[in-house]
Amino acid sequence: MDRGRAVLAAVALAAALALPSAAGPFWTGLVTQMYIFGLLALSVDLLLGHAGLFSLTHASFFAVSAYTVAILQVRYAVPTALAAPAGILAGTLLALLFGLAVRTRGVYFILITIAFGYVVWGVAHRWSSFTGGDNGVTNVPFPALGAAAITSHTQYYYLVLAAVIVCGLGYRVFMRSPFGLGLRGIKASESRMQSLGFRTSAHLYAAFVLSGALASFAGVLYVYYNKFVNPVAASFPVSVEAALMAIVGGTGTIIGPFLGAAVVLGLRNWVSSFFELHAAVMGAVFIATVLWAPQGLVGIAGRLRARFGKAKERTP
Amino acid sequence: MSNTALEVGALAKVFGGLAAVDGVSLKVAAGERRVLIGPNGAGKTTLFHCITGTLKPTSGQVTLFGRDVTRLAEYSRTALGMGRTFQITNVFPDLTLGENLALAIVGTDRRKWVLHRPMQAYADVRRQALESLERVGLAGRADQPAKLVSYGERRQLELALALNTRPKVLFLDEPCAGLSPAERQRISQMIGELPRDITLLMIEHDMDVALGLADRVTVLHQGRVILEGSPDEVRANAQVRDVYFGHA
Amino acid sequence: MLTSAVLQAINGISLAALLFLLASGFTLSFGLMRVVNMAHGAYYLLGGYIGLTIAEKTGSFALALVGGGAAIIVVGYLIDRFLIRRTGENHLAQVLLTVGVAFVIGDVALAIWGGDNLMVPAPKFLKGAVILPGDVYYPRYRFVLIFLGVAVGVALWLLYKKTQLGAVVRAGVDDREQVNATGINVDRLFVMVSGLASFLAGMAGVAGGAFLTLYPGAEWEILVYALVVVIVGGLGSLEGAMIGALIVGLLDAYGRWLLPEFSYFVLFGPIALLMLFRPRGLFGREY
Repeated sequence: MDRGRAVLAAVALAAALALPSAAGPFWTGLVTQMYIFGLLALSVDLLLGHAGLFSLTHASFFAVSAYTVAILQVRYAVPTALAAPAGILAGTLLALLFGLAVRTRGVYFILITIAFGYVVWGVAHRWSSFTGGDNGVTNVPFPALGAAAITSHTQYYYLVLAAVIVCGLGYRVFMRSPFGLGLRGIKASESRMQSLGFRTSAHLYAAFVLSGALASFAGVLYVYYNKFVNPVAASFPVSVEAALMAIVGGTGTIIGPFLGAAVVLGLRNWVSSFFELHAAVMGAVFIATVLWAPQGLVGIAGRLRARFGKAKERTP
Repeated sequence: MSNTALEVGALAKVFGGLAAVDGVSLKVAAGERRVLIGPNGAGKTTLFHCITGTLKPTSGQVTLFGRDVTRLAEYSRTALGMGRTFQITNVFPDLTLGENLALAIVGTDRRKWVLHRPMQAYADVRRQALESLERVGLAGRADQPAKLVSYGERRQLELALALNTRPKVLFLDEPCAGLSPAERQRISQMIGELPRDITLLMIEHDMDVALGLADRVTVLHQGRVILEGSPDEVRANAQVRDVYFGHA
Repeated sequence: MLTSAVLQAINGISLAALLFLLASGFTLSFGLMRVVNMAHGAYYLLGGYIGLTIAEKTGSFALALVGGGAAIIVVGYLIDRFLIRRTGENHLAQVLLTVGVAFVIGDVALAIWGGDNLMVPAPKFLKGAVILPGDVYYPRYRFVLIFLGVAVGVALWLLYKKTQLGAVVRAGVDDREQVNATGINVDRLFVMVSGLASFLAGMAGVAGGAFLTLYPGAEWEILVYALVVVIVGGLGSLEGAMIGALIVGLLDAYGRWLLPEFSYFVLFGPIALLMLFRPRGLFGREY
C-alpha cells in the first residue's frame, strides 16, 4: 500500500469512528445498513467480480441465516454465542446444496439461481407455522456474549464496523491467494485453467460455498440490527439489489460493493422521502448503470485518474 | 515398464453426424518428437482436444504411459503429465505474466487450494516464474498484464504456461501460428532446446519447422491417418504431396 | 381422492397452458436473438392490467385478450429497440437491465392500478362449471385456457415447422450466420419474433388474470415459473417449453395439494435432478 492510500484509509477509519457522535442516530442507522448490505454485495461480488458467476440467490443465504438466528433467539432463547454461529452454519449448508448450480454456466446459472432464490422465499412465505409467514419473526434482541451485551444502536454500529474491517482484511488476503487468483483465471479462461490442472468446477463450488458463508454472516448482522426478519429478506429484489450494489460500486474490488451499497441505500432513502415510485427509480438506476457505468464508480474513478492524474502503474 | 508414452486407439469424434476424427490410432515412444501435419479440417486440433481431455471422444481410447486415461477429466490428465498449448492463444489477459505463470505452477500441486496466504508469499513460485519467463525470452516482463504484451510474446507465454505444469508429454497446437518468420525461428529454437525426456506432439503447418523438429511425422487427412514415417519418407510420399503440398 | 387427483391434473394442465404462453416467447427470444428478457413477467402483468381495463370499458373479453397483447407489442418493441439492443450479447447486462425495466413497469402499474388483487372479468359463457363424470364440478374457464394453450401451441408448432418463416427461425436458432446468409432481413425477423413473444406474454396476462388475479409481485412469481419451464425444457427449444410447462404445471398442482407449505420446494426437485444429469435441460443445447 502506498502512502496516499494509507492516508485515505486512516481518514475513512477516523470518519467511520466519529460518525455516531458527529451525525446522530439517523445516519448511524443508515451507515450500519450500508455496512451490512455492503458485506452482502461483497459476497455476491466474490463470485461475480472474481469468478464471473452472476448469482441471484444470495438473499437466500442471507435470509436463512437471519431466520435461524431469529427463531433460535426469540423462540428458544438460545444465546448469541450459539445462535449466531448456527445462523452462519444454516446459510452455509444451504450454499452447499445450491452450489450444485456451478454445474452450469452463463445464462443457465443466472436462471437457476433465480429459481432457487424463489424456492427459499416461497418456503419463508408459505410455511407460516415455522417462519411466521408474512409477519416473520419479531422482537430479536441485540446480541449478547455473557455479560458483554450490546445495548444501543451506537454500540451495534461499532460491532458491525469491526466485523466489516475484519472481513475486508480477510477478503484482501483471499483476493491475492492462490485460490483467489485461480478464480480470476477461471473467469478469464476456464479451458486454460483445466489444462493447467485446475478442477474448475470444484474451485467454483468452493467459491460458491465461501460466498454463501459470507452472505450468511451478513444475514446475522442484519437480523440483530433489524430486530425482525420476514420473507422480504429472502426476496428476489434483495438478491438483485446486492448484485446492483457490487456493479454500481465496481466489481472485483473490496471498496466497490460498500460504495455501491451507500449509493443504492442513500438514493432509495432520499428518493422515497419525496417520490412515491421509488422502486421505479431503483429500476432506472439498474438501467442507467448497465448503459452508462458498467464499470461502476471504481471504474469511473480509475478513468478520471488516468485522464487527470499521473497514471501510476499498479503493483501486483 | 513401457517405452510407449502415448497410445491412441481407434479414436473417433463425431460432430452432428460428421466424423472430424475417424478412427485414429497412434503410438508415440517416450522421448519421441512427433509432428502431426495435414490440411485444414483434417481433424488435428480435434484429435488433440480428445487426447488431452478438452473434448470427450465419441469412441476409442487414450493411454498415457500404460494407463487408460480415456475417462479422466482434463485436469487429471494434466496431473498425470499431459501439458498443452492452444492454437488460439489462451492466456489470462488481465493477469500479469508473473501471475499467469504462478497459476501454471500451483495448478498441479495442492497450493492451488490455499486461500489464507497471498501468492506472493511463495518465494519459490515467484522464482520459478521469473526463471521460466527468462527461458522463453520474456525476462523482466513479470509485472506486465498479459493483454499489454505483443502477440508474439503471448505465444511465448503460452509455451511457458504449458511447460510449468511439469509435462511428461507436451502437446503443442501450432505454436508458431500467426508469427513473423523471425519469431517463428525463435519459438522453434526454444522447442528444439526442450529437454529430450519430454515427449512432444506438435501440430505444425510450416513444413520446414515441422520436418526440422520431428523424429517422426503423422499425416492426417479427413480425420484419418494416411501416412506415418520419418520426415524423409513423408517428404518423398506422393499421396502426401497430393493432399497436403498440393493445397499449400 | 381419485377425483381430487384428476382435478389436480386438470389444474396442472391449465397452469401449464398459461406457462407455455409465457415460456415459449422467452425461449424463442433467447434461441433466435440470444436475448434474456427478465421483463417478461412484467409484460405479463402489464398486459393483464391493460386487458382488465379494456374488459371493464368494453365488456369484451376477446378484445381484452387481443388488446392486452397488442399493447405489449408496442411496449416490448420500444424496450427492445432502445434498451436491450444496446447491451449486445452481454447476458449479465441484459438480465440487470431488464430486471430494472420490470421494476419500472411494476411500480408504474402499482401507481395506476393499485395494490389490490384484481380479476379480469371473464364473459358469462366462460364462467360457471363443467360437470365431469362422477358429478364433479370444474370451472369451465380452466378448460378454455387449456384449449387456448393447445391452440397457441399448435399454431406456433405449425409456424415453426411448416412455414418458410419458421424454417428461417429454426435455422437461426441453430446457427445465426445461416440467417444472414439467406438474405432475409434479419432485423425485421427479430422484430417479428420479439413482437410475437411480447404479444403472447401480454395475452397470457389477460388469460391468467382471469383466474390467478393480478397483483403487485405477480410478475415475478409467474416469471420464475416460466424460468423453471425453460430451465427444465432447455433454453431455445419450443418442444422443451411444451414439455417443461406440463412438468412444472403438474408438479405445482400436486405440490400445492399434497405439500401446501412446501409447494415452491417441489419446483426445486426437477431442477436439482436435471442439474445432476442434464445440466442443459431436456432439449437444451450448448450456448
